[in-house]
Amino acid sequence: MNTSTETAGKKISGQVKGYLLLILLVIISWGIFKIITPNNFGSAKNMLSYFEASLLAAVGAVGFYFVMVMGMFDFSIGANIMLSAIVGCVFAGRFGLGYFGLVVGAILTGALVGLLNGTFYVKLRIPSMIVTTGLALIYESIANFIAGGVEQTLPSNLRAFGQMPGNLILAVIAFAIAYLILNYTKIGTYTYAIGSNEFVAKNMGIKVNKYKILAFIISGAFLGIMAVLTISYGSSMVAVTGMASMSRNFVPTMGCFFGLAFKKYGMPIPAIIIGEFVINIIFFGFIALGAPTAIQDVITGLALLVIVTVTTKVAKGEIVK
Amino acid sequence: MSDIRLEIKDVSKAFGITKALSSVSFNINKGEIHALIGENGSGKSTLTNSLAGIYQKDWGSFILDGKEVNPVNQVEANNEGISIIVQELGTLDGLTVAENIFLGHEEKFVKFGIKNTASMNRKANELLKQYGFDRIKASDMIEHYNFEDRKLVEIVKATYFGPKIVVIDETTTALSREGREELYKHMKRIREEGNTVIFISHDLPEVLSLSDTITVLRDGLYIDTVKSSEIDEDGLKKLMVGRDVTGGYYRADYGEKVSDEVVMKVENVTVPGIISNISFELHKGEILGFGGLSESGMHEVGKACFGASFDREGKVTLADGTQVNDIPTAISHSIAYTSKDRDNESLVMNQSIRDNICLPSLDDLANKAHMLSDKKLKSFADEFAAKMSTKMQSVDQFVSNLSGGNKQKVVLARWIGKDSDILVLDSPTRGIDIKVKQDIYQLMDRMRKSGKSIIMISEELMELIGMCDRIIIMKDGQINGELMRNKDMDENTLIAKMV
Repeated sequence: MNTSTETAGKKISGQVKGYLLLILLVIISWGIFKIITPNNFGSAKNMLSYFEASLLAAVGAVGFYFVMVMGMFDFSIGANIMLSAIVGCVFAGRFGLGYFGLVVGAILTGALVGLLNGTFYVKLRIPSMIVTTGLALIYESIANFIAGGVEQTLPSNLRAFGQMPGNLILAVIAFAIAYLILNYTKIGTYTYAIGSNEFVAKNMGIKVNKYKILAFIISGAFLGIMAVLTISYGSSMVAVTGMASMSRNFVPTMGCFFGLAFKKYGMPIPAIIIGEFVINIIFFGFIALGAPTAIQDVITGLALLVIVTVTTKVAKGEIVK
Repeated sequence: MSDIRLEIKDVSKAFGITKALSSVSFNINKGEIHALIGENGSGKSTLTNSLAGIYQKDWGSFILDGKEVNPVNQVEANNEGISIIVQELGTLDGLTVAENIFLGHEEKFVKFGIKNTASMNRKANELLKQYGFDRIKASDMIEHYNFEDRKLVEIVKATYFGPKIVVIDETTTALSREGREELYKHMKRIREEGNTVIFISHDLPEVLSLSDTITVLRDGLYIDTVKSSEIDEDGLKKLMVGRDVTGGYYRADYGEKVSDEVVMKVENVTVPGIISNISFELHKGEILGFGGLSESGMHEVGKACFGASFDREGKVTLADGTQVNDIPTAISHSIAYTSKDRDNESLVMNQSIRDNICLPSLDDLANKAHMLSDKKLKSFADEFAAKMSTKMQSVDQFVSNLSGGNKQKVVLARWIGKDSDILVLDSPTRGIDIKVKQDIYQLMDRMRKSGKSIIMISEELMELIGMCDRIIIMKDGQINGELMRNKDMDENTLIAKMV
């Protein structure tokens, strides 16, 4: 009895520590910009809008977490979001399928892209970074072809997921599904097992390739949801080419780093959500300051390094790659 | 009803051109502890790994209770009633203790695709309590536990479902005395329940005291099966090596005076939480032993002398006044170190034997323009691999494909090639067969005679007694006694200071 209470206590204290760290990061990032630019940054209303904006990338990041925790990477995130958003938009508007077309079209496209990424990676047996970089070029071209080179605009009557409460409801459903898969299904256990030691996992009868493909599919489907939120929030999407979609990779990937850093506290998903919020506070802080983009990028990059260094306390002697 | 549990018929397995098993056939009975012994590379692990689904045999059959079994992974083997505890770590980071225990068998806790974590933890806690390991908590992440506790979790994982055959592959060397006792208790329980243990160990007294039957393999061939009660250690050695193991096993000299020349002085060395205030001197031509329980801190002493400890306080000074505070300084001043954790800390597993042997000597092997010649590296590696009689196809072979003993030979070849004057050998004979052990002991003796100094850290008390000029016993991170070499010393003298 005593011991179980002790164990529970230990677990709670680890999670509490994680939450305290994240809340501290929110307060610090808010505090710095609030001091520098007190008038046009950081009011309660502003903070709510920063949070709303952060939901987009947080949804993509929780899906991408399944891929990253297995030790793989995906450079086609941006291309996937773009393609899924355009397909969803076309289904909703051009085919007249409304919200059903938008949501199902985007999620299915995202999942299909994930399936292709995973299958090519497993079958070709080449690093996931290379496979997904190559495929990103193809997805961009397909998106451009579907869009006919024209900016795709979501009809104004189909933008409920771009504002409260529609965006929050969709995001919360996505987070709940990710949490459920990660903690209460075999997929979650096997995801961590493969990430820890693929050889042992294989010997335990886990079909490693199947679960790797599944991780890409899950990631793709969540990026599809992110695409719905993105096009609903921004109302339109341009199908860029020449790897320009890569600029969309950065924010979900950063959120995912938060998840990996806070995995040891047993709270990767809350860490991704709050982490994305911190990133958005920093972005909007710079906008409030009117800082040039180059300076914004330098400081954001440094902030990422500082945050991950502080939150990821690597044991002495532990090898970091 | 037949007493035969497992018939092994004509089993063969090759890795590339190396024949690991050639038409091996013998039977294993119900309700027995059946030891499998042989030199490193004799095929013991290949045979049991093939039985447990880790490898796929090329030919032959395993017939379990009259039915042929061909598992393709460990879970299939478990379903057939076969489980295995592997030599190295078999649990996975990132999962809880309970998830590790039931990995691959989650179905019983899954309803409509949803895993009942609470029920899984409850069941795992019940099992841990039943095994007497209730200090380990099912819901804790496995990485919170040390190597030994993780091995105990593996014992639960491999045996909780009452398998017909449990393979225990060279596990005891990774365990402390208490851990071994726990394992022995469960091995005997399995036998009493009418099931079978296949026990792989290089510790012949342990094999003789625990097993009922012993099968000997040599170079992938079946040699003989004998009753433990009808053979002694020398008889087993003869079967393993194929000839009488003659000559001294340990050193035979007593009363030889060790030089007064101090080659390394360790003063007040502390590594927070592990060792505290350790001071000693190492003399020229001396073999200085460190013994103690696994967690006594003795393994950290080796790291501290090699400049590999973190947050180390105190001084390690060489005869020329050099302070050893980091590994490059240690290596450049002729200190060698072999870790207990051979696979993770001593060898670069995905590199060739050649690269592993040449690694610390690259500066010496490079020409004036700092360029390396393939030919020179190969001939250097060939020379020292041959000196250690390493069983291999060529030095271009990946070190990961070698057996445990041959991996250790590669580690030692590396430092002999470097011609180090001070060798810190942590568990140099862990998981190594009788013949290679003898080679290593003889090598150490030759080195000692040629003026090299050796720190030997070991959990094998007999080898400390047999090989060392002086033995320092560690307890709770501190020195708890020092014993000089003498004929009358026995294990009990050391144990009295260890516990």
